Amino acid sequence: MKAIYEKPQVFTDAITTYCGGCGHGIVGKLIAELIDELDLRENGILVWPIGCSCLSDRYYDMDAFMALHGRAPAAATGIKRADPSKFVLCYQGDGDLVSEGMAEIMHAAIRSEKFTVIFINNAIYGMTGGQMAPTTLEGQYATTAPKGRKEINSGFPVHMAEIMGMMPGVCYSERVTVTNPGNVAKCKRALKKGFENQIAGKGLSFIEILSPCPTGWKMSPLKAMEWVDEVVAKEYPLGLIKDTTKEEN
Amino acid sequence: MKKELLFSGIGGQGVITLGETLCDAAIKAGYNVTFVPFYGQEKRGGRTMCNIVISDGVESPIISEADIMLIFDERSLHDYQDLMSPDGTLIINSSMVQIEPTVECKDIRKVPFNDLAVEVGNAKTANVVAMGYIAKLLPEIPYEIIKEKVADSFAAKPKLIPVNMEAIQKGYEL
Amino acid sequence: MGEKVFMQGNQAMAESAIRAGCKLFFGYPITPSSEVPEYYANVMETRPEEGVMFIQAETEVAAFNMVAGACATGHRAMTATAGPGFDLGQEAMSYMSAADIPSVVVEVQRPGPGDGEILAAQGDYFSAVKGGGHGDYCNLVLAPYSVQEMCELMQEAFDLAQKYSNPVVLLTDATLAKMRESVELPGYKEAPDPKTVRNALTGCKGREPHKVVTCGDGAVQWEEFNLRLQEKYAKIAANEVRYQEYNMEDADIILVAYGSVARVCESAMKLAREEGIKVGMIRPISLWPFPNVAFEGKKGKKFLVVELSAGQMVQDVKLAVDDKKDVTFFGKLGGTTPSPKVVLEQIKKLV
Repeated sequence: MKAIYEKPQVFTDAITTYCGGCGHGIVGKLIAELIDELDLRENGILVWPIGCSCLSDRYYDMDAFMALHGRAPAAATGIKRADPSKFVLCYQGDGDLVSEGMAEIMHAAIRSEKFTVIFINNAIYGMTGGQMAPTTLEGQYATTAPKGRKEINSGFPVHMAEIMGMMPGVCYSERVTVTNPGNVAKCKRALKKGFENQIAGKGLSFIEILSPCPTGWKMSPLKAMEWVDEVVAKEYPLGLIKDTTKEEN
Repeated sequence: MKKELLFSGIGGQGVITLGETLCDAAIKAGYNVTFVPFYGQEKRGGRTMCNIVISDGVESPIISEADIMLIFDERSLHDYQDLMSPDGTLIINSSMVQIEPTVECKDIRKVPFNDLAVEVGNAKTANVVAMGYIAKLLPEIPYEIIKEKVADSFAAKPKLIPVNMEAIQKGYEL
Repeated sequence: MGEKVFMQGNQAMAESAIRAGCKLFFGYPITPSSEVPEYYANVMETRPEEGVMFIQAETEVAAFNMVAGACATGHRAMTATAGPGFDLGQEAMSYMSAADIPSVVVEVQRPGPGDGEILAAQGDYFSAVKGGGHGDYCNLVLAPYSVQEMCELMQEAFDLAQKYSNPVVLLTDATLAKMRESVELPGYKEAPDPKTVRNALTGCKGREPHKVVTCGDGAVQWEEFNLRLQEKYAKIAANEVRYQEYNMEDADIILVAYGSVARVCESAMKLAREEGIKVGMIRPISLWPFPNVAFEGKKGKKFLVVELSAGQMVQDVKLAVDDKKDVTFFGKLGGTTPSPKVVLEQIKKLV
């Protein structure tokens, strides 16, 4: 019998700790596929954040650095500057990237660091139990916003992909999601673009992924997928925001 | 031999440069030298002071009592005169300092360094006139070496070397 | 050894680091440490053959984490800062020790608390020696007292960091940083091939993947992880105690001091001896591990601990001596440093 799909080779046998219906697992698989396809395993260093994905080093059979909360872009800067020949992937969630580490991601973009950043935006703090994120929608329930996020108290949701798109040091910024096979394919194309930009030595590539968090949102996995498409994507429109590499070609 | 020196003035008067140049000369003369600058937090017009220790062995870079103290402004006199050794020499730039020292010190010299610099023809050479004056008090460091180091400090502006050589000689001959 | 020059502490130290193969510097300018990043920035531009890379980080938080990332690749990297910046680096210090990252950090002490002055102080002893970050960890802390020793310990710091896979802190102060004195610059050393550095992230070609992580599991695993770290610290404590003794044969009074104020005490000791007072000195060079052994078997001696603090190292001295009633403390605060004569007066009070 002919195999039409195999587990990506870079994956270890470790079982992920993600909840059912979580977007991290889908994105994690796309990363693994691209590492195989682009042959990055032996020359790559994965930088993982604090959050639900902090144990990800166990899932990939390759070198990894677990960064402190929010500091992944700083650590990735140190790694990439020390050894520019390595493929460096910086993976962060919304608490990590937008809240604790806003300075680090902004300045990595200002310096046009030559690595790829994947930003998982699920509009909630997953690992710590459903607290409000800077990307939580107005009115959205969180344990630290029990009546829903209010503008008077917490201001407005942060649109990172657009902010990154404004930075001269960022060569590519796109927002995608993983809510259906078509979107997963688009997400993979965006990730591939971000990976290839780095291999070509271009500036920072930023891929924001709207990702369901059924546990944090207190929804069924299916309902969470629908909620991304119908509600979250209204606040955070999908699509390409910036691609300077196109003009060069 | 061990000499403890303290030079103090306001930023821009050149007391730090004077101190560094003297250190260069003392090293060339074979001594152990430490130089510790102290700056006020303001970038311009703030206090600039330095401790210099010239010795045969390893010594504290922080002085106990100044054998030679050079004071270029009134606040410096107020702040540091208590660090004067009673047997040392207190040199006060009388062009800038009108108040009287209160410290007990046998050898107090009042020298109008700024006026002397004007006489030389360049008001900015007051610190170099002072260097000449101090050179006379430190026979352990050959005057020729001090002159050479002053000239070296103007390597980037050789046009200024003659007037500064005149200034150091003026101070030395006082 | 290289040439003899009259050089500022910060600059001579930076040159020594470059010559030790530390080509990567990440830092945020702060007085009185700024000559170190300035030196690296200049060498990057004027001596391209050195292959120096300097990045001015947005914060010390970022600088310390950049150092963590760079050192994790097996390359030599460092930062230099002063007290307020060291505060911001503490999460990374705790992490680098936990994650076995061989990093080097220079801390130029200035007075606090809060913002503070820019002159010399020693009030950061606790945060460097006891660990200002969370959890049970230790920094290997070295305290030079001359520009020469700054250069030598700077070079050695990289070897030690690598030997123990742990951060090494070079704890100096504003006087040492800003002072100039004659120094014989150390020669060039070859940095090791990153591939030979333990657990370095060099890409996993031909070997098992390396993971720079802490623990991440339950309490039992965290305890095991902590116990392994404690073994590392025990090894450092057993091997890396350093101190210098002066005139101990007949001393009745023993000065205890580190850093720039130890220079002052050395002169005070000479003044006291000239007056016939039998004074000796113990100068801790490794502040952690603290040289407890230097204080053994000294029953009946009087110890005078001199610090530019309200009394920090003195606590370790009291733990090390046979009878803590023998220990007297003299401290200066706010950026003031006592002169040798002032220390002599304190010595005379104990006669």
